[in-house]
Amino acid sequence: MPSWLDFQPFIVSGLALGGVYALSGVGLVVLYRATGVVYLAFGAVGAMGALIAWSVINAHAPDWLGWLVCVLFAGAVTLGYGMVFGSALAGREPLVKAVATLGLTLILFGVMDLLWTSSGGESRSITLPTDNGGFTIGQVQVTWTQVIGLAAGVVITVVTAAFLRYTKLGTAMRAMANDREITATLGVPVRRVEAAAWLGCGLLGGIAGLLLADLVALDATTLTFLVISSLAAALIARLRSIPLTFVAAIAIGLIHDLLTPIAALSNYRDMTPFVLATIALLVLSRRRLLARSREEG
Amino acid sequence: MRIREHAPGARAAAVFVAVAAVLAVAGCSSSSSSTSTPASSPAAASPSSTAVSTSQCGTKPGVAATGTPIPLGAIATNQPGTSFTDIPNMAAAYFACVNANGGINGHPIKLYIETEQTNPAQIAADAKQLVQTDHVVGIVGNTSILECTIDHAYWEKLGYFIVDSGIAPECYSTSNSAAVNMGPRYSSDGAVQYALSQHVSKIVFDQSNVPGTGYIAAGPAALAAAAHTPIVQLTENVPISDANSVAIKEVDDAGPNGAVVLNFTPPEALVILQAAQKLGLENRVKLWGCSTPCNTDFLAQALGPKWNNKLFVNAELTPPDVTNTPAMGLYKAILAQYGKSVSGGIGSFSQMGFAEAEILVHALESVKGAYTVASVNAAIKAVSGFNTGQLCQLWSYGSYPMHIPNNEDYTVTPDNGKMVIAQGCTQISSVDPQIAAYRKVAGTAPSAP
Repeated sequence: MPSWLDFQPFIVSGLALGGVYALSGVGLVVLYRATGVVYLAFGAVGAMGALIAWSVINAHAPDWLGWLVCVLFAGAVTLGYGMVFGSALAGREPLVKAVATLGLTLILFGVMDLLWTSSGGESRSITLPTDNGGFTIGQVQVTWTQVIGLAAGVVITVVTAAFLRYTKLGTAMRAMANDREITATLGVPVRRVEAAAWLGCGLLGGIAGLLLADLVALDATTLTFLVISSLAAALIARLRSIPLTFVAAIAIGLIHDLLTPIAALSNYRDMTPFVLATIALLVLSRRRLLARSREEG
Repeated sequence: MRIREHAPGARAAAVFVAVAAVLAVAGCSSSSSSTSTPASSPAAASPSSTAVSTSQCGTKPGVAATGTPIPLGAIATNQPGTSFTDIPNMAAAYFACVNANGGINGHPIKLYIETEQTNPAQIAADAKQLVQTDHVVGIVGNTSILECTIDHAYWEKLGYFIVDSGIAPECYSTSNSAAVNMGPRYSSDGAVQYALSQHVSKIVFDQSNVPGTGYIAAGPAALAAAAHTPIVQLTENVPISDANSVAIKEVDDAGPNGAVVLNFTPPEALVILQAAQKLGLENRVKLWGCSTPCNTDFLAQALGPKWNNKLFVNAELTPPDVTNTPAMGLYKAILAQYGKSVSGGIGSFSQMGFAEAEILVHALESVKGAYTVASVNAAIKAVSGFNTGQLCQLWSYGSYPMHIPNNEDYTVTPDNGKMVIAQGCTQISSVDPQIAAYRKVAGTAPSAP
């Protein structure tokens, strides 16, 4: 069993990843609450945004322009999808809506494979200026990018929670979470509210894509499928609680990385989101059953 | 903040389980495509030298071959994240050059390229397609994660002798497959051997967690054991989703006088090395090593000067940037004129395709009479002491139960965005029992002039 000292660096890397998962998870929860859509293309739009940013930066444009393009691309694609398909599928089952976003994922995935091929052994990367600075805690090196990863998760969680509670648009989103039709009859501009949710989710996808391209890898497959960790965090929060999504995402990032130095478990650490989500579902289902039986008894 | 439920939790859970399952298999869809030798194109993948005329690739410069085509076949993996099509595409480019300059005694070569997505049934069907529908008389340029494993018995039964780029163990351990490259095991041997020559106190050997890791790991383990140096064997699930953790673990395990040796594709190796750099870990071990896939200028450019003389990469083929031989000039010239479909340009993949096509043309030129499966494969099997210009050694096929004809290699290191030679041609040690077994039956091939 590794010593406490051996675990320390993995706490830092786990917190940073957890922060970005939280940012992504919050975006997924907000969109789900407003539209009923589990947005599986979240990772793919971020991945493609990051690859576009790489191309922009490699064309000798300023780095900030590349980052901006990444975020705007993810926002625009998500908004466009939401406007075209979101309304059309509004009355369908959640599974149908989710699988439709899987279609978008596969289209983006194919385009990325076509445009940013790796058939000749190409390797790409995005390096943020914050990688070059940082500080040391004990013997653990912490980069500013890792700090930003965690901070972004915290900030987005707090800001989103406040937004939903205190703003008119946030209140409208919460109302739509209860009943879309009744909310519409009350005069809430449903389509505009949904558009805001789609756009916000897409912008978060772009930010997450950029951060993960730096913290993990600028690779279409990797970034596209990292959505699974964020989705698991959102599911643990039952797709409704913003703070719980944050806690679950941090837990997934931390546990995943803390398993790394344990030789017997290291190769199974990618199961972390699935295992945690399954445990959470079983516990929550059991609690609900118990509560119902108490009520009936 | 807590907002009320939109849909029942159980339904959301069902959605999650369903979509997670679909996502997990999304990258595994199967399809197959077939292409033939491309027509010549005026410009291609930005090679640096065209001093040698492509007319040298045939016996009748400028005279297009118009006879009955000689059909050859190839099978390559082509799926998101893993594509080896550059290798048969480069072979096709070479054949296009030959066809434009006289062909083989007036016969053009037609290369049928099948692609596969690591689906065993599809790979077996591809082989049958080439034999039964396309009626190919030889197989050249195969580069696939599974093809050797799936098809070697089929080729043996039909009497085809394959010239390929090997990945799976059967590409090296069976009678009817001979590769121009070393493959992951022997390339990893080369990287570990270099690290041991620098007197490191410990080796950490890390590779992708994919089928065949045990076979690959056996070589470095044997080398380390013979040098009385401890070795830690690690595997990582790919794509890597936590490069920082992987880098920290490797460095912690290796220690300050140890070496970390990687056996990954370039993108995966890059994320590990960059994570190490961001965390200031690159100098926390004596050296870093990598098997051949890391030998790309893409990687050298992405890493930057901190890795100059810190990362040492096994190179199975002659470094093209610093080699100025006629064969290397012809390779670059063909790539420029005919290699439009070779997306990676100059590099190991296209060099392999070039070398394999050279060997096939050499074999076909020795055929007397009709180009049949029997005559062509007898000629391929008879290739001996052939100088490809791309390898340290002369290349031979021969009648052996196993084939590792490329077992001598370079070591390169990044130098401000380019890979340069750190160590010249060096034989892979016979401490690896597979290398010893091959040299026992085939002897040690002479070095290329």
